[in-house]
Amino acid sequence: MSDPALQVENLSGGYDPVQIFQDIDLVLHKGESIGIFGPNGHGKTTFLKTLSGLIDPWSGSIRFHGELMNRVGERGSRKWRNFNYDAVTRRRMDPKTVARAGLIHVQQGNLLFPELTVGETLSISSGAAKGREGWSLEQVRGLFPCVAERGDHKIRFLSGGERQMVSVAAGLLSAPRLLILDEPTLGLSPKIRQELCDAILTVRKTGMPIILIDQDVGFLEQIIDTLYLFDHGRISGRMTHAEMPDHDGLMALLFGEYH
Amino acid sequence: MDAATLSSVLQGGIVLGALYALMATGLSLVWTTLGIFNFAHGAFIALGAYIAWQFSSVDAWGLPLFPAILLTLAVMFAVGALMYFLLVKPFERRADVVLISVITTLAASAILENGLLLIWGPRSKQIPSLGSGEVALGQISLATSEIILLALVLAILLGLGLFLRYARPGRIMRAVSQNREAAELLGLNVPLYFAIAFGLSAATAGLAGVFVGTIRFMNPEMGTEPLMKALIVVIFGGVARFSSPLYAAFIIGMLEAFSIYVLGLYWAPAVLFITMIVVLLLKPEGLFGNHQRTL
Repeated sequence: MSDPALQVENLSGGYDPVQIFQDIDLVLHKGESIGIFGPNGHGKTTFLKTLSGLIDPWSGSIRFHGELMNRVGERGSRKWRNFNYDAVTRRRMDPKTVARAGLIHVQQGNLLFPELTVGETLSISSGAAKGREGWSLEQVRGLFPCVAERGDHKIRFLSGGERQMVSVAAGLLSAPRLLILDEPTLGLSPKIRQELCDAILTVRKTGMPIILIDQDVGFLEQIIDTLYLFDHGRISGRMTHAEMPDHDGLMALLFGEYH
Repeated sequence: MDAATLSSVLQGGIVLGALYALMATGLSLVWTTLGIFNFAHGAFIALGAYIAWQFSSVDAWGLPLFPAILLTLAVMFAVGALMYFLLVKPFERRADVVLISVITTLAASAILENGLLLIWGPRSKQIPSLGSGEVALGQISLATSEIILLALVLAILLGLGLFLRYARPGRIMRAVSQNREAAELLGLNVPLYFAIAFGLSAATAGLAGVFVGTIRFMNPEMGTEPLMKALIVVIFGGVARFSSPLYAAFIIGMLEAFSIYVLGLYWAPAVLFITMIVVLLLKPEGLFGNHQRTL
């Protein structure tokens, strides 16, 4: 395999003072896609939010295409507890820098900008591209025909599926070098779910590396090369596509035979 | 009330409404974008007036009035953006940022007002009028300066509205105000657009100060009362849309003009506050507002 596109070492984090995940090691090679599977409430989304810089990591390092994304340092290593470090120091990680490096995170149930129209949202979505060659507006409209049809509608009037499609479309316009999708099919009707899955599959076929969290093992199987099991804030298993069991097999791995 | 009196009260109401619209728009721009209340807005009004005086007065640099106003807008924009980085940015990740920014903006207000006193002294000043003479429309005659003021206010507010709707930076400002996290994930420079919002707010406040300075004598506390009125307008009208405070400003302006005529000068604030309380009781999100705080 080539050099890693994303290398996460010993990453821990959470919402101060509660630690949500710890000691995560993860490597994603160029052109590879990985899936993260695990029960709800065990820290998958928090881990992804830390990867994209929305939450400062507590310790560990995140390298994207060899570039260190966070300032390394242990949480609590600063002296003088009552001093306001926010006033004089930078954050350990800046989501803008991460996005501009090409690591694009499409959030779970993304509300985007409720009062902006679909057209307006897409018109401002190339902020992270910064000269990188990405998807064009025409390509994105071709991928999601409903996005093209709903150009004048405000985001808050869209259905959950349409909103998710606009989120992915906005992510693609940002010229991603790695696309993080957090449960994109959550709560969608089977028809819309299939449309979205097909679109994501099309994106994957272009060679776009993807980190995908989803509860649908069938969908994960179509997209990913490697699956990580996420349990109680730790990675409890790693398997290649060939080694992946079906849904019941995965549940048995996580919760035992009598889940 | 005869036609001439009615027209003069209406005229007063419209001018007041225009000024309040300018002040309230700036105030609500910061409130909807950053979610904080800028108590230094009144000091920005005074600062704008003094800067314009410095540029335009024959006792100072003596520039023609309209170039002086443009320069004032530019300076006020820069001051506003700087104020964001000094007063809000260092604390924005703290949970109590709203409370902290009350203190920092109040402090900035005190520092700015006393700075004005220190630099320009306590003597009252006035900016040259926007125009002289009157325009007669049948029985009604309108002061040229008031027509220019109204036209400028409407043009600036229309321009600001179009900027927010059609220009890319304006759209990004709206996006940032609606979902900061999503904007950050798209790689947008959120602090920059917060600074632009603060700058635009300060520029509109400064412009309102210039207009007040052409009508009345200026002193460093001249922004305190307009700030209170702008606050009433914002609460009265709600902030659901960019235009909400505009309608409210003209309603409040008219109400004030008529209550001054009917009840007298000292009862006008009471009428405004009672109206605001009644509106809050019946429609807590404001007359034109909804539950969302957005641009």
